[in-house]
Amino acid sequence: MKTIFLVDDSATILLSVSNILAKAGYAVAKAGNAGEALSQFQAGIKSDLLITDLNMPGMNGIELIQHVRKLPNYRFMPILFLTTESQQSKKAEAKAAGASGWIVKPASADDLLNTIKLVMR
Amino acid sequence: MDELLTVFVTESREQLAALEAALLQLEAASGDADTLHAIFRAAHTIKGGAGVIECDYIVAFTHVVENVLDQLRNGDIAVSAELIALLLACGDHIGLLLGEFEIRRVHPTAELQLAGDALLARLQRDARTAPPGLPPAGASSATQPSLGQDMIESECWHISLRFERHVLKNGMDPLSFLHYLGTLGTIVHLETVADAMPPADQMDAEACYLGFEIRFASCADKTTIERVFEFVRDDCTLHILPPDSRLADYIDLLQSLPEDTMRLGEILVRIGALTQAELDDGLLMQQPPMAGAAPPDVVPLGEILVQQQVVQPKLVEAAIIRQARVSDKKTAEARLIRIQADKLDRLIDLVGELVIASASVSLLASRSGRAELLEASSLMMRLVESTRDSALQLRMVQIGETFSRFNRIVRDVSKELGKDIELVITGGETELDKSVVEKIGDPLIHLVRNAIDHGIEPTARRTAAGKPPRGRLELNASHDSGSIVITVSDDGGGLNRDKIVAKATERGLLQPGHNLSEAEIDNLIFEPGFSTADHVSSLSGRGVGMDVVKRNIQSLRGHVDVRSAPGAGTRFSIRLPLTMAIIDGFLVGTGQANYVVPLDMVVECLELSPQTSDNHYLNLRGEVLPFIRLHELFNLPGKRPARENVVVVRTGAQKVGIVVDQLLGEFQTVIKPLGHLFQSLRGIGGSTILGSGEVALILDVPALVAIATRRESREAASTPAT
Repeated sequence: MKTIFLVDDSATILLSVSNILAKAGYAVAKAGNAGEALSQFQAGIKSDLLITDLNMPGMNGIELIQHVRKLPNYRFMPILFLTTESQQSKKAEAKAAGASGWIVKPASADDLLNTIKLVMR
Repeated sequence: MDELLTVFVTESREQLAALEAALLQLEAASGDADTLHAIFRAAHTIKGGAGVIECDYIVAFTHVVENVLDQLRNGDIAVSAELIALLLACGDHIGLLLGEFEIRRVHPTAELQLAGDALLARLQRDARTAPPGLPPAGASSATQPSLGQDMIESECWHISLRFERHVLKNGMDPLSFLHYLGTLGTIVHLETVADAMPPADQMDAEACYLGFEIRFASCADKTTIERVFEFVRDDCTLHILPPDSRLADYIDLLQSLPEDTMRLGEILVRIGALTQAELDDGLLMQQPPMAGAAPPDVVPLGEILVQQQVVQPKLVEAAIIRQARVSDKKTAEARLIRIQADKLDRLIDLVGELVIASASVSLLASRSGRAELLEASSLMMRLVESTRDSALQLRMVQIGETFSRFNRIVRDVSKELGKDIELVITGGETELDKSVVEKIGDPLIHLVRNAIDHGIEPTARRTAAGKPPRGRLELNASHDSGSIVITVSDDGGGLNRDKIVAKATERGLLQPGHNLSEAEIDNLIFEPGFSTADHVSSLSGRGVGMDVVKRNIQSLRGHVDVRSAPGAGTRFSIRLPLTMAIIDGFLVGTGQANYVVPLDMVVECLELSPQTSDNHYLNLRGEVLPFIRLHELFNLPGKRPARENVVVVRTGAQKVGIVVDQLLGEFQTVIKPLGHLFQSLRGIGGSTILGSGEVALILDVPALVAIATRRESREAASTPAT
């Protein structure tokens, strides 16, 4: 079973996305902020995909991607970030930090799962 | 429903005129592709219209003509003089069929049907046309070879993918795209391109050296397919070429697009043949590599897109044609609104009444002496004036359309007479009132036919006289001091004055021994029952014509004049007022009455010095200016005032003074025609109503000038004798 690590400061999103993922047969790990997520990755948590929000209090999503990408275990792990249509400039920034792709919010369950299918090995 | 039929007939007649013009152009210069397209389009539009209003016989006939035109357009058959003559005849026949349709005939008369069949038979023989109903031979059934043709099957998308080396570093696996692509359709064939692969010792295990050529069968659209590669769009080179079988769909879509002005890229994106990302890339490539590069170096977007293998050349072509057609139509639409002439006439009438009413308001305001009222009324006058000008402008049409009819007339008539004649039209953009344009056509046809028949000599005589063998006929229109002047001039033999004098004497129009100036002799040809042609041809010379021409022109408040130089040619000038409805006038008072001089003709006003003798001349800054006293001309009662004024007016090159009592200023004049009783009055062209309700007479300036100059020459002739 593939494990997806989900980071978002919104409890609503965490809950709804993890419900969708769980229903689709993924194992879900989650964190409410980037710092907490990073320490889990530093501890070597099993993860096949990281999905993170960009705008979060404290460490933001881009910093998180940068740090995670540098960890040897996660060099080739796909990383998706959540963004909105209006944040086109963030895409380039996040890609430069090491993200693989993005999910545009609000996304339907199908869109979300399709994107995950696309990047997941 | 009736309105639709009227629109159809009007439109079709316009298309026929365009068809004819283009055919003549083709004949003259073996026209370019645009001309051929225009010809085809005209026939096509008529057929389409006829189909909509279900007029079968027009559809049937036009269909065959259209087929031939299509072949002509595709270069399957060659342009020849015979074919053009035949097509012109077909155009005429369509005109006749339209006539039948207009009187609501369900079938054309048997005679017309036979004539039509004969034309079609000739057309099919000459052009080896496919019989109606079958697609024209050589229609584009073969697909054009396109880039990468050897790699694609017609039902498959062709996707060409080259990854950048670093693509793996962001956690992306090329394989996952291919897997995902598999969910949208079937990967029919996949070729891995490894030509970028370095020797094993130089290979970076974490870099990607691969590319793929994919044949992909799917009913997904281009955007969906492209979206698969969205995350690596910047990290790979991607070309998605739609299957050829899609081409037809795209072209269909192209036709059903709303008729908006769109850029080429927008059109292609809209029909799904191009994705926004591909367009953006293409546009980026179009930018000159360095700022300041010369603009002509810019490669057209279409070419770039084809080079990039993202669209087929055929589709770009189709889109460009579509684009051009929309923009043609747009400009045509922007220029024209069809409305019924009656509605315009009603508007002009109302504006006329408005002008009169506002004159009376302004008069009352000035009598009251209240400043605010005066101010308000002067503002209103200004607005009324602008309204008047705009309303009159609505009825102004270019004379070019009337002129272009003559291309055909000159061609036909000169062929009939075996003369080689070139028609030169200038000033076709000159505008004049629609009602005038409608009525000037017939007199012009008379003049043009006369010029071809009598004016221009047969080729043999021309060469003998040392003239170019090809005769030259000029039609020109121009504006001149508030009038429009139309001239018809030829480079023929000129009028034979001896013959005219002899004929006039014979007809009793001229007393023997009476001396006339050359201009007066020339103008004798406008007398009723006058013709100098030795033989009567089918075209002119029946002795009716020139006097009818003159009468027609006079009924338009116009004047016609002829000038001729023996051996060098003849020139007819028609001078017409610009409008028949409302003019800017200059109000003058003489005796008890008011008169209006059309303002366009007024040059200046001055006071008549009391010393001026009664010989009807005055010295205008060293120039001799003949003048007329309205008092004398109209035998007005009462004494002449101590101070008199002169209004200097001009028509053509001739200046004349009109002596009046008072100058009353500018006045918007709504022209009311004189009743039948007064139509023979010389020097009065109409009447108008003043703000006070009084009637003022409008002076016919050209007639006054003629009176003054005639008297001048008579006096000059008689002076030595006394």
